[in-house]
Amino acid sequence: MQRMDKRILLVEDDRELAGQVKGRLEEIRCDVTWWPEGRRLALASDLPDVELVILDLMLPGRSGLDMLRDLRAVSDVPVLVLSARGETSAKVRAFQLGADDYMTKPFWPEELVERVRARLRRPVLGRSDVVTVRGLSVDRRRREVTVDGQAVELTRVEFDLLSALAERPGEAVTRAWLSQNVLDPDRDGTERTLDVHVSRLRKKLGAGTYVETVWGIGYRLADEVPA
Amino acid sequence: MTLRQRLAVATIAATIPVAVLLLWFDAATHYEAGERFLVSVGGSRLAELQAACEADPAAFGGELEPHHHGPGPPRDGRGPRDGGPPERGGDGPRGDGPGGERPPRRERRPGGPDGPPPPPPRVWAYDASFAPTGAGAPPVPEGLREEALAGAAVATDAPLWPGEDVLVLLRGAGDAGRCRFFLLSGHTDPHHGGVLPSSLVWLLPTAAVFLAMLAAASPVVRRIRRLRDAVGASARSAYATPTGLAGKDEVGELAAAFDRAGEEVRARLADNARREQALREFLAHTMHDVMIPLTVLKGHLATLRDAAGEGDGKKAVVSAMDEAHYIASLLRDLAAAARLDAAVVELERGPVDLGGLVTRVVARHRPIARQLEVELESAIPREALVIDADETLLEQAVSNIVYNAVRYNKPGGHVAVICEAEEGARFRVTVLDDGPGIPEEELARLADRGYRRDEARTRAPDGQGLGLHIAQRAAALHGFALQLGASEYGGLEVRIAGPVARAEG
Repeated sequence: MQRMDKRILLVEDDRELAGQVKGRLEEIRCDVTWWPEGRRLALASDLPDVELVILDLMLPGRSGLDMLRDLRAVSDVPVLVLSARGETSAKVRAFQLGADDYMTKPFWPEELVERVRARLRRPVLGRSDVVTVRGLSVDRRRREVTVDGQAVELTRVEFDLLSALAERPGEAVTRAWLSQNVLDPDRDGTERTLDVHVSRLRKKLGAGTYVETVWGIGYRLADEVPA
Repeated sequence: MTLRQRLAVATIAATIPVAVLLLWFDAATHYEAGERFLVSVGGSRLAELQAACEADPAAFGGELEPHHHGPGPPRDGRGPRDGGPPERGGDGPRGDGPGGERPPRRERRPGGPDGPPPPPPRVWAYDASFAPTGAGAPPVPEGLREEALAGAAVATDAPLWPGEDVLVLLRGAGDAGRCRFFLLSGHTDPHHGGVLPSSLVWLLPTAAVFLAMLAAASPVVRRIRRLRDAVGASARSAYATPTGLAGKDEVGELAAAFDRAGEEVRARLADNARREQALREFLAHTMHDVMIPLTVLKGHLATLRDAAGEGDGKKAVVSAMDEAHYIASLLRDLAAAARLDAAVVELERGPVDLGGLVTRVVARHRPIARQLEVELESAIPREALVIDADETLLEQAVSNIVYNAVRYNKPGGHVAVICEAEEGARFRVTVLDDGPGIPEEELARLADRGYRRDEARTRAPDGQGLGLHIAQRAAALHGFALQLGASEYGGLEVRIAGPVARAEG
């Protein structure tokens, strides 16, 4: 498990569930503060210094939506809402009040961890010029690529391809999108041609499987070592 | 039949028999008056007639002279006499008594509207066996004979519909001689003896009543039509507005009765709505109460799975995880079905970030897909794709399609979810797999919008039908197209497509 070292506030009234969630989050080295009921947040100091809030909507004390309203008045911290009722109105209301994401119960611990991680790491990604994935570094402004510190020479199309995948490491991009947006549609805009370019790119990047084929979709820049 | 037609028919049906009865009665009284006249004339001059007959039986017969000059009765009655109209009076023993009915006729005749006056009465004599004494005498009708033989001094006829010709048979005095019976024949006098005025002016009130009835029906018909329209409007407003038709007549009462019935219906509707609301809340609470322990259960199963290692233990835990995941999915489907089965399905539409929705759905099923060794991947566009939809329903629709693709796949299988923007401000979500797929005819049946949930359940008891059916319904309610087909990888390819929400502002 990747270590997160983040502080999280968990507001959940079910003791057992809260214990499980807390345990799972601590496995990824998060520091979890647990509130078993909704509390009023009148001042910024009422809120613990955390990087993420996981908020149940149905709470004894102050309701989740009220807490969310309080919270948004004093802080911009990301909020992941947990809901069990699955009503559109509650979700819409939560988003209107400034929730960043929501999850419907029942969920798998894995699912929760994945979402928490995605939420916590998002700002770090951004649209920076240099993307680094393990040994691979892509400088999109200077159009330079290195693998384990060694510069790699790429053709224009190959670089554009890698750059497009590097924009969102770990996320699959369809072959249709790549052939339309990376290849020159007038000359060689077919998906077959794309596969040829990918194959050459892979060879140039070496052994560390960076460009991964995604079944039914296309390709992705693998941010983790594939299982 | 409309009210007006019914009134017209009823009026005519009542008028005709009454008119016929009146006319019959009029004719009967005319006839009776004629009889009385003949009897009085004949009776008062019977002795005179007998004498004249006995004097010359063969020559007897013809018009009865009003003023007799001597015992000789008139001779030769063939053809109308031109001796002028008979004068009133006479020297018979008349003057008062029944004969008194005669005078008015003579006086009124000149101004009468009818044609010429009736010819004067005629008389013939018969012997005991009703053989006429003279020539030209008509036979005596059977009815009169019988009456006369029975001993009556005066025999009269009683026709069913009394006509204008009146016959009276008088028995002569004494038992001897050839002139035993005298048949008097005359005409009714249109100016005398009737009960109806001789002109048709009496029809006027009848016609007036008839018209008045139709006129009186008009406002009633108008009110009934207004009530009909008001009832229609009230029904369209789910009985929220009363008919608003006041009045003390029957139409007003009908309107009031309808308003009461409407209130009753409204009360029942409100009651049903309350019950449905209560049921929905109960379901929501139950969902909430079940989902929390189910989350805890999933947590424990995940922990067990981590500890189980490989082998049978792992298999059992994975199977338990699969079931837990399936139960959660089924519960969501049941909640969705409860909404979709409502009489009026109300979509809670709002802006939905489709990429976020697809990511959530994939994240929901990825843990179980991983356990089932099915690779679940997704792609969402870089630019946010915002559509107008009911987030819960649409998420459930996409979730069902993705979960079906995962659940019915085999270890080592793949599922891909692709969310894309299409030309013309449209979106498209494609879910494809390399699982066993669905036979062609079953696909057609699943795509059928009339495919029932019960059928779906019996056809695919493990819920595949139900999940796809809910996806189908949800897509249809949103106006999105849902297509089922074979994927190029041999499995199923499901596609939902629709318009992107218009940019706000």
